[in-house]
Amino acid sequence: MSPVILTGDPLLAGNVDLAVVLIVLLKVVVVFALLLVATMLMVWFERKVHGDMTNRIGPSRAGPFGILQTLADGIKLFFKEDIRPERAERTVYVLAPFLSFVPAFLLFAIVPIGGNWANGEGGKVTIFGHDTYLQLADPPIGILFALAISSIAVYGVMLAGWSSGSKYPLLGSVRASAQMVSYEAAMGLSAMAVVLVTGSLSTHDIVAYQAGEGPLGWLPNWGILLTGFVPFVIFVIAGTAELNRPPFDLVEAEQELVAGFNTEYSSIRFALFFLAEFMNVVTMSAIFVTLFLGGPAGPAPIGPAWVWSLVWFFLKVLLFLFMFVWFRGTLPRFRYDQLMNLGWKVLIPLSLGWLLLLGTVKLAIDQDWNPALVGAIAIGVFLMAAGLLRAANRTARERRQLEEVF
Amino acid sequence: MGQYLPVFALLVLAVVFGVLSLLVSKVLAPRLPTRAKEAPYECGIIPGREPPERFPVRFYLVAMIFIVFDIEVIFFFPWAMVFERLGLFGLVAIAIFAAAVFESFVYLISNGALEWGPIKRQQRSALVSPARTAETTIRRVGLEGRPRAAEEAA
Repeated sequence: MSPVILTGDPLLAGNVDLAVVLIVLLKVVVVFALLLVATMLMVWFERKVHGDMTNRIGPSRAGPFGILQTLADGIKLFFKEDIRPERAERTVYVLAPFLSFVPAFLLFAIVPIGGNWANGEGGKVTIFGHDTYLQLADPPIGILFALAISSIAVYGVMLAGWSSGSKYPLLGSVRASAQMVSYEAAMGLSAMAVVLVTGSLSTHDIVAYQAGEGPLGWLPNWGILLTGFVPFVIFVIAGTAELNRPPFDLVEAEQELVAGFNTEYSSIRFALFFLAEFMNVVTMSAIFVTLFLGGPAGPAPIGPAWVWSLVWFFLKVLLFLFMFVWFRGTLPRFRYDQLMNLGWKVLIPLSLGWLLLLGTVKLAIDQDWNPALVGAIAIGVFLMAAGLLRAANRTARERRQLEEVF
Repeated sequence: MGQYLPVFALLVLAVVFGVLSLLVSKVLAPRLPTRAKEAPYECGIIPGREPPERFPVRFYLVAMIFIVFDIEVIFFFPWAMVFERLGLFGLVAIAIFAAAVFESFVYLISNGALEWGPIKRQQRSALVSPARTAETTIRRVGLEGRPRAAEEAA
């Protein structure tokens, strides 16, 4: 049984004097700049790789390999006319981009991006004589914070569409809010599987737990293995849907909705939405890594451990960024009813069942329950739930067929 | 609350960044509004109808069902933190809770609260030969179904 520790970042645990505030400000500015650069590179990376996947060259003019293309696009957008549609609800129209991109920044605050995980240091590094973590903030409710902030982003999308006073944004935003809301429960339940295994809500403690000795002695002690792979798959699917990325990009299905909720936005207001979208891709990948792939913890053969942790973190995040681009290059878009069916009728029951199973198995091992009995009961409960769901689906279909006759 | 200090700092920085970009854009961007530019976007057609004010009730249903599940998730988190100490008692309690929510979920599904789109029906017309399927009518990209170069040469 692991004791519940609510320590948080040692930097802010003691007296908060001027030096501490300056270090905090330094960290904030570094993370802010890092996020902007990462987003810029992510847009370039996506366009380049997606270009390769579709037999194109992709951006190639601005800078070496077109790496400055996003910067050029961003500067261009500053010079573009800011059109305000006449039907727009002014206050909300102005507010919506902020509700979209401010949470995108805040979400990254809880992600551990590095640290000295070797020799029982627990991820501490020393900056100017002060011990701290290489993560912006370590609130004791880290995961809840992430879920809460990511659901604020729904408001940005919803209000942007509603306040534009136009048809396509409105339809796009209604779709978007229903979609994001549908996958949030599955996302919360699968993230909870990691909480259940690691026994902590703080992202730092989750990474610290995963940095420990793994099963069989040679496997990494990562959430993906400890939770039995299923929550990882559910979390990745739900995360992709939360981001409105292909194959869940019904929100901006250009054949139906022009550009979705941001159709009426132009100039820098559009750029803010765009920024938020790609920043969320980067942050979501970082959260995947934190929860399921051990975060920045990894072996450090030579040199300082904190440098290696940054390298591991970057490589792991890059894996997921490539995955998102690969999804876009490969998978066709879902139909709306398929999207809803997958979210509600598959992912939510499955993540709920798996969470209970995981808890049961852990308790059974801890308290030496009869494995055969526990297994039999678990299988029985699963079969019963699956049967009930099937019956419910059949009833719904039969009802609708009766209705359509009249 | 000290742990939230960096979050507030980042919040302020992000808002300042947004306001600054809007100000810079205001200075740099031209401002030449015309009627056509400010009209709602309709792919070039002059808008004739007001945007709809009503929505299919299913969207509201989704929102309501979501609240049920979100509350369930919130109640699960404390259990996930301390389930090892609660042991069998906690497991049974949370299982009863989950069963209650699941039961209402099954009821909602069977009532058709989460049904979307038309029912899939395969209608076979007498006019179309049953031999005509997607397999026979769509030509595949690639070599499948095409005469091989070697066979042609022979």
